[in-house]
Amino acid sequence: MQKNALHILLADDDEDDRLFFKDAFEEIKIQTNVSFVHDGMQLMDHLMNPDNKLPDILFLDLNMPKKTGKECLIEIKKTDHLKDIIIAIYSTSSSEEDIEDTFIQGANIYIKKPSDFNTLKKIINEVVTVNWHYHTSGLNRDNFLLRLK
Amino acid sequence: MKWIPNFNSSNSLRVIFVIAVFILLFLSSIAYKHNQDLNESSKLVMHAYEINIQLERLMSAIKDAETGQRGYIITRNARFLTPYIYSRDKVNTSFITLKKLTADNPKQQENLQKLFKLITQRFISFENCLKYSDPKTYDKRKLDNHMFGGRILMENIRFKVDEMNDIEKDFLKKRLKIYDSEISLSPLFSISLFLVALSFILLAYRQISRDFERLKVFNKKLLISSGLISESENIGKFSTWQWDLDSDKIDFSDNQFRLLGLEPKSFAPNKATLIKYVHPDDKESVAKAIDEIVEKKHLPFVYYKIVRPDFEVRYFKTTGKLVTDQQGSKILLGINFDITDEHLLNIELQERNKELEKSNKELASFNHVASHDLQEPLRKIQTFISRVSSADKEVMSESGKNYITKIESSAKRMRVLIDDLLLFSRTNTTKKEFIKMNLNELLDNAESELGEVIEEKKATIQRIGKLPKLSVIPYQIEQLFINLIGNSLKYSQPDVNPEISISSEKVNSADYPEILEQSIKKYHKITFTDNGMGFDPQFKETIFILFQRLHSKTDYPGTGIGLAICKKIVENHKGYITADSILGKGSVFTVFLPD
Repeated sequence: MQKNALHILLADDDEDDRLFFKDAFEEIKIQTNVSFVHDGMQLMDHLMNPDNKLPDILFLDLNMPKKTGKECLIEIKKTDHLKDIIIAIYSTSSSEEDIEDTFIQGANIYIKKPSDFNTLKKIINEVVTVNWHYHTSGLNRDNFLLRLK
Repeated sequence: MKWIPNFNSSNSLRVIFVIAVFILLFLSSIAYKHNQDLNESSKLVMHAYEINIQLERLMSAIKDAETGQRGYIITRNARFLTPYIYSRDKVNTSFITLKKLTADNPKQQENLQKLFKLITQRFISFENCLKYSDPKTYDKRKLDNHMFGGRILMENIRFKVDEMNDIEKDFLKKRLKIYDSEISLSPLFSISLFLVALSFILLAYRQISRDFERLKVFNKKLLISSGLISESENIGKFSTWQWDLDSDKIDFSDNQFRLLGLEPKSFAPNKATLIKYVHPDDKESVAKAIDEIVEKKHLPFVYYKIVRPDFEVRYFKTTGKLVTDQQGSKILLGINFDITDEHLLNIELQERNKELEKSNKELASFNHVASHDLQEPLRKIQTFISRVSSADKEVMSESGKNYITKIESSAKRMRVLIDDLLLFSRTNTTKKEFIKMNLNELLDNAESELGEVIEEKKATIQRIGKLPKLSVIPYQIEQLFINLIGNSLKYSQPDVNPEISISSEKVNSADYPEILEQSIKKYHKITFTDNGMGFDPQFKETIFILFQRLHSKTDYPGTGIGLAICKKIVENHKGYITADSILGKGSVFTVFLPD
């Protein structure tokens, strides 16, 4: 565990995706601690456990067993000590409905899972290096969905 | 209720009649009074005349006595004394008559008393004259005295009689004067009053006959319209009823009986029969609605079932209104509709709707499968391929590398197919919000979206005229422009820079009777013309069909969905799209959007 490293948490039930994610973080040159949970229940248990350090950025898949990403999002935003965590939705879906819903529920950014490993690396790099304070204050429906330049 | 004629004249007619009757009554009472007075005055005249006659008789009796006495004194023949002897009786008779006649007048009674005294004295004077003229007791001086005294008495009598006559005359005059002053209506005035009354009556008569004519006309119209109504009731499966709330009398139209499955006029309707045929389930609500109508003066549509005598159940819809007629009585007008056919149709429609909803839900879940579950493995295939690094490829055989490339392009193609399919289904299912938009802006967006390809192909896009402002679903129209321009760019001629011109004009639907809906008068015609490779015009209909492709996918990558999406979008806007082309010269796509 490196100190001063960004603490990243990915909640995703798909093993392959977790693998891509881990590999991508290893290849970018930023000091990060990446940890994983496999479903919504596990995510909430992890966050509620005072022994665990809270993540700086939470990557949240929407389609998860036991508790969906949307349910987790609502719960996190309702909980005082969790509501300031930066939440990046990380989903296969690009449906307007999902984007709209998560924007309203207070997610910080919406990432559509890319189908190219290099794109994934670029996305992660973008998300990790973004000035979140600046991004959040200027957040609107147009820049909510991440589009790579 | 405009068709009810307004017979307002009836009130003024009444006033005219009353005035005329009053004038006539007044005239006849004046005439009666006149008559009475005439009668009275003639009685008075007769009375005065009688008194006059009796007084004259009295006088003549005395004169007879005087003449007789004179004759006797001169001739001494007793025959001359006969009038004198009778005169006393005559005087008495007249006197009694006079006393009766003047019984109502104390002054005349007094005068009569005095006259009687004078007459008595006169007769005493006669006696004395007779006495002193008798040769046995003759006394010249006394005779002269008495004769002379008799003469004076006679004058006094005459004077008294005249006085009495004058009194009667005066009385008569006074009375006649009073009568004259009492009835002072001049004949001219009476006649004119009569004429006024007459003209009033004539006026009223004229008005009545005019109203009568109008009534006749309206009656005819009513007859026609009632015939029409009963006919239309029969055809339109509705009926009417009226309920006079004051007299509690209810009338059903003939068709009401028929709708209830009965012969017209087969029973006398009353309040109970209004709900007698209502289905037991609905009796309570219908009774409640009938009670409420009296308060609210209006009956909102009530839906209920009825049971015909042959136990057939029919569905009814009833509405009603409380109206007040010219006489002020309240009448409830009701209309019943037999909506059984519509109702059954409705039920069927509802069932079909449910089926549609169900299949729509299935479609939506299919959408979800396509959007999520199908994309997931595909995305992984693509990601894993992207993970095969160039170092890995180095150690692979040529055919292995080739297979990897083929897997990659197949996966890419599948991605495009899924994306296009999703786009196509979303043009149907997503909510359609129409916003007034300047189409020029949407075209700008489309061009910037295609910026890279335009640059790459060195294409020029020319706009002839400005596009209109229309109420549209913005992202769909943008998609339409992207697809059409993208199509032109994709199917350009090799080695020729693509030129696309976009023009817009307003046209009358009447000019395109075979294409456009004629009920909408004006359309905006937006034309996309290119110099591309074009297509065989025999395919101008089929190219809009889903998955229809004119080229092999190795020559031109495409899913055959793009133009189907265009058609769907234009249809969503109640518009039309056509295509035409000359092979090798270029194609024209024309979009018609309603104004």
